Amino acid sequence: MDRTETQDELYQKATQEYGAVLARMAYAYEADPDLRRDLSQEMHLALWRSLGKFNGRCSLRTWIYRVAHNVATSHVVRQVRGKRIASAFLTLEEAESQTGDEDVEISTDRNHALDRLFGLIQRLDPLDRQVIMAYLGDLDAESIAEITGLSTQNVWSKIHRIKNVLSRRFPRGGRNAL
Amino acid sequence: MPCDELPDNLKILWKEVGANPSMFSPDQLRRETNRLQAKRRRGQIVLVACMLFLAASYGLSFFLFPNTLARLGGTLTVIVCGYWLVHALMERARAAPDPGETDGLCYYRAELEHARDNHRWMSWRFPLLLGPFLLFDIGVAQIYARFSPFIVWFMCFDCVLLLVVLAVWAPVKHFRTARKYQDCIDALDTASGRGQAHRER
Repeated sequence: MDRTETQDELYQKATQEYGAVLARMAYAYEADPDLRRDLSQEMHLALWRSLGKFNGRCSLRTWIYRVAHNVATSHVVRQVRGKRIASAFLTLEEAESQTGDEDVEISTDRNHALDRLFGLIQRLDPLDRQVIMAYLGDLDAESIAEITGLSTQNVWSKIHRIKNVLSRRFPRGGRNAL
Repeated sequence: MPCDELPDNLKILWKEVGANPSMFSPDQLRRETNRLQAKRRRGQIVLVACMLFLAASYGLSFFLFPNTLARLGGTLTVIVCGYWLVHALMERARAAPDPGETDGLCYYRAELEHARDNHRWMSWRFPLLLGPFLLFDIGVAQIYARFSPFIVWFMCFDCVLLLVVLAVWAPVKHFRTARKYQDCIDALDTASGRGQAHRER
């Protein structure tokens, strides 16, 4: 089997298993539908190209998450282009402290809850976005650390903050009507 | 250890998104890669053509204006244009970190560093254009001064404008942006505890 064939097969396997993950990431990184389509295509393109170099040193899932997040990070950095960079992103710490009364309102609408979730993620620093999306995707702290390059301890501390932010903005009772 | 305690149904809701993801065949992606490469080549051709046009215009000044300052200014402008062109082409050929082999933190840092370096480069290279442009303007003003004093006033205004834009506004703007990127890098290093490691490298 030559390299191209392996690359194509790996890509097809990757999109079958993790296509939804890529779609969610595109949603979470880009609010504009046209730009989101471009970002999604960019992710697929980068993934297909990078799979030619996939050496199995990490799992396919970790590889896909890394490629998708990194491509999306480039997209985000390109979008903010300097002038808004300092105030463009919110850290988890800031998101925690910014939780006001209107955020505590119980969501009664499914789309509203999703919009708010994506709205929150889209304001976060790219690294925090990676952690929150991996957390929502049920990845364990070790895998998140492998994807983001943060220490496991650092990941745990971020997850703790994410839980605080999410539980304040999306109270348990609020999802009953979703 | 899975992180699955909170918030109860938010993860389910999250997983419902992207139920019908976009699919591309490898052939589609191959075609897209070729299209992007062609677009990139076209972009390079346009860039080179613009720079050559600018260089040729100033190069012509050597023959059109019989004045040492105008000739010197024109020649220096051609040299600076060449320098900018080489930098732009090298920048396009820069190898970006591999998105699959690089973790999120390193990749994000590399992106910020790249943006910072670009703005730093611009902040110091704009004033480089000032000298040649001023020499050219003064040379042209010397030639036409005897015909109309208006030309002298116009050239004075042009020199002041160049001074403000190339020596003050553009460098300050790019320097500030570069500093903002550096602040982001510092914040990232502090948050990740990697600052020391990067400084030591």
